[in-house]
Amino acid sequence: MTLYNRYIITVTLLLLLTTIILIATSQNSLDIYFTVYVIEALVITELYVYFNSKARRGLTYVSTILFGGFTIALCLQVVRILT
Amino acid sequence: MKDKNAYTWAGFSLLIAGGLISLPAYFIFHLIWLTALGICMLILSFILVALGKAIPKLPPEVCSLLLETGVDNIATLIEELGIKSKAIYLPSSLAGKYPRAFIPLHSNGSHPEITKALPKRLIARYGSSPEDIGLLISTIGSTATRMLESKPGATADELESALTSLLTGRLGVADSTRVICNNNHIKVEIYKPRLENGASWSHQCLGGPLATVVASVAAEAWDKPMTISQEVQVNGKYNVELEVGK
Repeated sequence: MTLYNRYIITVTLLLLLTTIILIATSQNSLDIYFTVYVIEALVITELYVYFNSKARRGLTYVSTILFGGFTIALCLQVVRILT
Repeated sequence: MKDKNAYTWAGFSLLIAGGLISLPAYFIFHLIWLTALGICMLILSFILVALGKAIPKLPPEVCSLLLETGVDNIATLIEELGIKSKAIYLPSSLAGKYPRAFIPLHSNGSHPEITKALPKRLIARYGSSPEDIGLLISTIGSTATRMLESKPGATADELESALTSLLTGRLGVADSTRVICNNNHIKVEIYKPRLENGASWSHQCLGGPLATVVASVAAEAWDKPMTISQEVQVNGKYNVELEVGK
Protein backbone atom coordinates (compact mmCIF):
# COMPACT_ATOMS: atom_id res chain seq x y z
CA MET A 1 0.00 0.00 0.00
CA THR A 2 1.45 3.37 -0.94
CA LEU A 3 1.91 6.20 1.55
CA TYR A 4 -0.92 8.20 -0.09
CA ASN A 5 -3.40 5.34 0.26
CA ARG A 6 -2.39 4.70 3.86
CA TYR A 7 -2.86 8.39 4.69
CA ILE A 8 -6.29 8.58 3.03
CA ILE A 9 -7.48 5.37 4.72
CA THR A 10 -6.24 6.62 8.13
CA VAL A 11 -8.06 9.95 7.78
CA THR A 12 -11.25 8.30 6.46
CA LEU A 13 -11.39 5.68 9.25
CA LEU A 14 -10.66 8.26 11.94
CA LEU A 15 -13.35 10.66 10.70
CA LEU A 16 -15.92 7.87 10.42
CA LEU A 17 -15.06 6.52 13.87
CA THR A 18 -15.38 10.03 15.33
CA THR A 19 -18.79 10.46 13.67
CA ILE A 20 -20.00 7.14 15.14
CA ILE A 21 -18.71 8.02 18.63
CA LEU A 22 -20.24 11.51 18.54
CA ILE A 23 -23.59 10.16 17.30
CA ALA A 24 -23.49 7.47 20.03
CA THR A 25 -22.92 10.17 22.68
CA SER A 26 -25.97 12.10 21.31
CA GLN A 27 -23.86 15.09 20.34
CA ASN A 28 -26.10 17.66 18.67
CA SER A 29 -23.74 20.54 17.96
CA LEU A 30 -22.33 20.83 14.46
CA ASP A 31 -19.47 23.01 15.79
CA ILE A 32 -18.15 20.14 17.91
CA TYR A 33 -18.29 17.70 14.98
CA PHE A 34 -16.46 20.17 12.74
CA THR A 35 -13.84 21.11 15.37
CA VAL A 36 -12.97 17.47 16.09
CA TYR A 37 -12.74 16.68 12.34
CA VAL A 38 -10.42 19.62 11.70
CA ILE A 39 -8.12 18.81 14.64
CA GLU A 40 -7.89 15.16 13.58
CA ALA A 41 -7.20 15.97 9.95
CA LEU A 42 -4.49 18.50 10.91
CA VAL A 43 -2.79 16.09 13.36
CA ILE A 44 -2.76 13.16 10.89
CA THR A 45 -1.44 15.44 8.12
CA GLU A 46 1.39 16.62 10.39
CA LEU A 47 2.29 13.02 11.27
CA TYR A 48 2.79 12.09 7.62
CA VAL A 49 6.02 14.05 7.17
CA TYR A 50 7.42 11.97 4.31
CA PHE A 51 5.19 13.26 1.52
CA ASN A 52 6.93 14.95 -1.39
CA SER A 53 7.01 18.75 -1.54
CA LYS A 54 4.16 18.99 -4.09
CA ALA A 55 1.84 16.89 -1.92
CA ARG A 56 2.85 18.82 1.20
CA ARG A 57 2.11 22.14 -0.54
CA GLY A 58 -1.35 20.87 -1.55
CA LEU A 59 -2.07 19.62 1.95
CA THR A 60 -0.91 22.95 3.43
CA TYR A 61 -3.64 24.70 1.37
CA VAL A 62 -6.20 22.18 2.67
CA SER A 63 -5.00 22.72 6.25
CA THR A 64 -5.31 26.49 5.77
CA ILE A 65 -8.90 26.12 4.51
CA LEU A 66 -9.78 23.82 7.42
CA PHE A 67 -8.13 26.13 9.94
CA GLY A 68 -10.05 29.06 8.42
CA GLY A 69 -13.31 27.15 8.90
CA PHE A 70 -12.31 26.30 12.46
CA THR A 71 -11.57 29.99 13.21
CA ILE A 72 -14.96 31.07 11.80
CA ALA A 73 -16.74 28.43 13.92
CA LEU A 74 -14.80 29.60 16.98
CA CYS A 75 -15.60 33.29 16.32
CA LEU A 76 -19.34 32.50 15.89
CA GLN A 77 -19.30 30.58 19.17
CA VAL A 78 -17.58 33.49 20.99
CA VAL A 79 -20.12 35.99 19.58
CA ARG A 80 -22.97 33.67 20.66
CA ILE A 81 -21.58 33.49 24.23
CA LEU A 82 -21.04 37.25 24.46
CA THR A 83 -24.52 38.24 23.20
CA MET B 1 -10.32 16.52 -17.35
CA LYS B 2 -8.69 13.87 -19.56
CA ASP B 3 -5.45 13.56 -17.53
CA LYS B 4 -7.11 13.47 -14.10
CA ASN B 5 -6.11 10.49 -11.97
CA ALA B 6 -8.20 8.28 -9.65
CA TYR B 7 -7.53 10.50 -6.62
CA THR B 8 -8.85 13.61 -8.37
CA TRP B 9 -11.94 11.79 -9.68
CA ALA B 10 -12.67 10.39 -6.22
CA GLY B 11 -12.12 13.88 -4.76
CA PHE B 12 -14.60 15.56 -7.13
CA SER B 13 -17.15 12.75 -6.58
CA LEU B 14 -16.93 13.18 -2.81
CA LEU B 15 -17.16 16.98 -3.19
CA ILE B 16 -20.46 16.66 -5.09
CA ALA B 17 -21.81 13.92 -2.77
CA GLY B 18 -20.75 15.89 0.34
CA GLY B 19 -22.46 19.04 -0.94
CA LEU B 20 -25.63 17.14 -1.89
CA ILE B 21 -25.80 15.48 1.55
CA SER B 22 -24.76 18.26 3.93
CA LEU B 23 -26.80 21.18 2.51
CA PRO B 24 -30.27 19.48 2.46
CA ALA B 25 -29.46 17.70 5.76
CA TYR B 26 -28.77 21.03 7.49
CA PHE B 27 -31.31 23.37 5.85
CA ILE B 28 -34.22 21.01 5.04
CA PHE B 29 -34.07 17.92 7.28
CA HIS B 30 -32.23 19.59 10.25
CA LEU B 31 -30.21 16.41 10.85
CA ILE B 32 -26.89 17.28 12.48
CA TRP B 33 -25.33 13.79 12.18
CA LEU B 34 -26.07 13.63 8.44
CA THR B 35 -24.68 17.14 7.98
CA ALA B 36 -21.53 16.04 9.85
CA LEU B 37 -21.20 13.04 7.56
CA GLY B 38 -21.44 15.40 4.56
CA ILE B 39 -18.70 17.61 6.08
CA CYS B 40 -16.55 14.48 6.47
CA MET B 41 -16.93 13.85 2.75
CA LEU B 42 -16.03 17.46 1.93
CA ILE B 43 -12.85 17.32 4.05
CA LEU B 44 -11.82 14.05 2.36
CA SER B 45 -12.58 15.51 -1.07
CA PHE B 46 -10.23 18.47 -0.45
CA ILE B 47 -7.48 16.08 0.66
CA LEU B 48 -7.98 13.80 -2.37
CA VAL B 49 -7.92 16.70 -4.84
CA ALA B 50 -4.73 18.06 -3.21
CA LEU B 51 -3.03 14.65 -3.37
CA GLY B 52 -4.26 14.06 -6.93
CA LYS B 53 -2.13 16.99 -8.12
CA ALA B 54 1.01 15.43 -6.57
CA ILE B 55 0.67 12.04 -8.29
CA PRO B 56 3.06 11.65 -11.29
CA LYS B 57 1.29 11.75 -14.67
CA LEU B 58 3.41 8.92 -16.11
CA PRO B 59 1.69 5.51 -15.63
CA PRO B 60 3.60 2.94 -13.47
CA GLU B 61 3.78 0.56 -16.46
CA VAL B 62 5.80 3.11 -18.46
CA CYS B 63 8.13 3.70 -15.48
CA SER B 64 8.66 -0.05 -15.12
CA LEU B 65 9.41 -0.31 -18.86
CA LEU B 66 12.06 2.43 -18.65
CA LEU B 67 13.59 0.93 -15.50
CA GLU B 68 13.83 -2.59 -16.95
CA THR B 69 15.38 -1.32 -20.19
CA GLY B 70 18.04 0.66 -18.31
CA VAL B 71 18.88 -2.18 -15.93
CA ASP B 72 19.01 -4.69 -18.81
CA ASN B 73 21.48 -2.53 -20.74
CA ILE B 74 23.82 -2.19 -17.74
CA ALA B 75 23.50 -5.94 -16.99
CA THR B 76 24.40 -6.84 -20.59
CA LEU B 77 27.44 -4.57 -20.51
CA ILE B 78 28.72 -6.02 -17.22
CA GLU B 79 28.09 -9.63 -18.23
CA GLU B 80 29.71 -9.15 -21.62
CA LEU B 81 32.87 -7.73 -20.00
CA GLY B 82 32.91 -10.59 -17.46
CA ILE B 83 33.40 -8.25 -14.49
CA LYS B 84 33.29 -9.98 -11.11
CA SER B 85 34.46 -7.20 -8.76
CA LYS B 86 31.97 -5.35 -6.58
CA ALA B 87 30.93 -1.84 -7.48
CA ILE B 88 32.10 1.11 -5.40
CA TYR B 89 29.45 3.78 -4.94
CA LEU B 90 31.06 7.18 -5.22
CA PRO B 91 29.64 10.48 -3.89
CA SER B 92 29.10 13.42 -6.25
CA SER B 93 32.38 14.99 -5.10
CA LEU B 94 34.27 12.05 -6.65
CA ALA B 95 31.95 11.12 -9.53
CA GLY B 96 30.67 14.36 -11.05
CA LYS B 97 27.29 16.01 -10.64
CA TYR B 98 25.66 13.09 -8.81
CA PRO B 99 26.71 9.82 -7.13
CA ARG B 100 27.64 6.98 -9.46
CA ALA B 101 28.89 3.41 -9.26
CA PHE B 102 32.46 2.65 -10.20
CA ILE B 103 33.35 -0.93 -11.21
CA PRO B 104 37.09 -1.65 -11.40
CA LEU B 105 37.91 -3.78 -14.46
CA HIS B 106 40.85 -5.46 -12.75
CA SER B 107 40.60 -6.39 -9.12
CA ASN B 108 42.91 -8.35 -6.84
CA GLY B 109 40.34 -8.72 -4.06
CA SER B 110 40.97 -5.36 -2.38
CA HIS B 111 39.00 -2.22 -3.14
CA PRO B 112 40.90 0.49 -4.99
CA GLU B 113 41.34 3.79 -3.16
CA ILE B 114 39.76 6.67 -5.03
CA THR B 115 40.87 9.99 -3.60
CA LYS B 116 40.33 12.44 -6.46
CA ALA B 117 37.35 13.17 -8.72
CA LEU B 118 37.09 10.80 -11.67
CA PRO B 119 36.52 12.08 -15.22
CA LYS B 120 32.86 11.95 -16.26
CA ARG B 121 33.32 9.13 -18.78
CA LEU B 122 32.13 5.54 -19.06
CA ILE B 123 35.69 4.22 -18.89
CA ALA B 124 37.54 6.13 -16.20
CA ARG B 125 41.12 5.89 -14.92
CA TYR B 126 41.71 6.15 -11.17
CA GLY B 127 45.43 5.47 -10.83
CA SER B 128 48.73 5.63 -12.69
CA SER B 129 48.98 1.90 -13.42
CA PRO B 130 47.66 0.72 -16.82
CA GLU B 131 45.29 -1.64 -14.98
CA ASP B 132 43.78 1.16 -12.87
CA ILE B 133 40.70 1.61 -14.99
CA GLY B 134 37.02 0.87 -14.49
CA LEU B 135 33.48 1.66 -15.55
CA LEU B 136 31.78 4.72 -14.12
CA ILE B 137 28.04 4.18 -14.51
CA SER B 138 24.79 5.72 -13.36
CA THR B 139 22.49 3.44 -11.40
CA ILE B 140 18.93 3.70 -10.10
CA GLY B 141 20.45 5.12 -6.92
CA SER B 142 22.19 7.91 -8.85
CA THR B 143 18.88 9.14 -10.21
CA ALA B 144 17.00 8.54 -6.95
CA THR B 145 19.51 10.65 -4.98
CA ARG B 146 18.62 13.66 -7.14
CA MET B 147 15.05 13.42 -5.80
CA LEU B 148 16.23 14.31 -2.29
CA GLU B 149 15.37 17.86 -1.29
CA SER B 150 18.70 18.35 0.50
CA LYS B 151 21.92 16.44 1.06
CA PRO B 152 21.61 14.28 4.21
CA GLY B 153 24.19 14.54 6.99
CA ALA B 154 26.60 11.78 7.99
CA THR B 155 24.59 10.43 10.93
CA ALA B 156 22.37 7.36 11.26
CA ASP B 157 19.28 9.49 12.02
CA GLU B 158 19.73 11.78 9.03
CA LEU B 159 20.40 8.86 6.67
CA GLU B 160 17.32 7.04 8.01
CA SER B 161 15.18 10.13 7.51
CA ALA B 162 16.49 10.63 3.94
CA LEU B 163 15.96 6.97 3.02
CA THR B 164 12.44 6.85 4.49
CA SER B 165 11.54 10.07 2.71
CA LEU B 166 12.87 8.68 -0.58
CA LEU B 167 11.77 5.02 -0.44
CA THR B 168 8.45 5.57 1.34
CA GLY B 169 7.39 9.11 0.49
CA ARG B 170 8.74 9.65 -3.03
CA LEU B 171 9.07 6.18 -4.56
CA GLY B 172 6.54 4.21 -2.48
CA VAL B 173 8.63 1.03 -2.64
CA ALA B 174 8.93 0.27 1.09
CA ASP B 175 7.12 0.88 4.37
CA SER B 176 9.97 2.23 6.48
CA THR B 177 13.72 2.02 7.06
CA ARG B 178 16.11 1.72 10.00
CA VAL B 179 19.81 2.60 9.99
CA ILE B 180 22.46 1.31 12.40
CA CYS B 181 26.01 2.67 12.17
CA ASN B 182 28.96 0.76 13.58
CA ASN B 183 32.48 2.13 12.93
CA ASN B 184 32.94 1.83 9.16
CA HIS B 185 29.88 -0.38 8.64
CA ILE B 186 26.33 0.82 8.01
CA LYS B 187 23.42 -1.58 8.33
CA VAL B 188 20.16 -0.55 6.70
CA GLU B 189 16.90 -2.45 7.28
CA ILE B 190 14.13 -1.84 4.76
CA TYR B 191 10.70 -2.99 5.89
CA LYS B 192 8.19 -4.49 3.43
CA PRO B 193 10.11 -3.81 0.21
CA ARG B 194 8.07 -3.86 -3.00
CA LEU B 195 10.91 -4.12 -5.53
CA GLU B 196 11.95 -7.51 -6.83
CA ASN B 197 15.63 -8.47 -6.72
CA GLY B 198 17.08 -10.34 -9.66
CA ALA B 199 19.78 -12.99 -9.37
CA SER B 200 21.81 -12.06 -12.42
CA TRP B 201 25.53 -11.46 -12.66
CA SER B 202 25.07 -7.70 -12.67
CA HIS B 203 23.18 -7.88 -9.37
CA GLN B 204 26.16 -9.60 -7.73
CA CYS B 205 28.33 -6.78 -9.02
CA LEU B 206 26.06 -3.75 -8.50
CA GLY B 207 23.59 -5.03 -5.92
CA GLY B 208 19.80 -5.02 -6.10
CA PRO B 209 17.81 -1.87 -7.00
CA LEU B 210 17.09 -1.00 -3.34
CA ALA B 211 20.69 -1.63 -2.32
CA THR B 212 21.94 0.73 -5.06
CA VAL B 213 19.62 3.47 -3.75
CA VAL B 214 20.83 2.90 -0.18
CA ALA B 215 24.51 2.86 -1.20
CA SER B 216 24.19 6.01 -3.34
CA VAL B 217 22.39 7.99 -0.63
CA ALA B 218 24.87 6.81 2.04
CA ALA B 219 27.85 7.69 -0.18
CA GLU B 220 26.42 11.17 -0.68
CA ALA B 221 25.68 11.59 3.04
CA TRP B 222 29.12 10.45 4.24
CA ASP B 223 30.87 11.95 1.19
CA LYS B 224 32.90 8.75 1.01
CA PRO B 225 32.94 5.71 -1.29
CA MET B 226 30.63 2.86 -0.21
CA THR B 227 30.59 -0.84 -1.06
CA ILE B 228 27.65 -3.19 -0.60
CA SER B 229 29.10 -5.98 1.55
CA GLN B 230 25.87 -7.94 2.07
CA GLU B 231 22.20 -7.88 1.11
CA VAL B 232 19.64 -10.36 2.39
CA GLN B 233 15.85 -10.53 2.22
CA VAL B 234 14.20 -12.26 5.20
CA ASN B 235 10.61 -12.21 6.49
CA GLY B 236 9.50 -9.14 4.58
CA LYS B 237 12.66 -7.28 5.59
CA TYR B 238 15.52 -6.37 3.31
CA ASN B 239 18.90 -5.93 5.00
CA VAL B 240 21.71 -4.07 3.29
CA GLU B 241 25.18 -3.81 4.82
CA LEU B 242 27.55 -1.16 3.55
CA GLU B 243 31.24 -0.75 4.05
CA VAL B 244 32.49 2.81 4.24
CA GLY B 245 35.59 3.37 2.12
CA LYS B 246 38.56 5.57 2.89
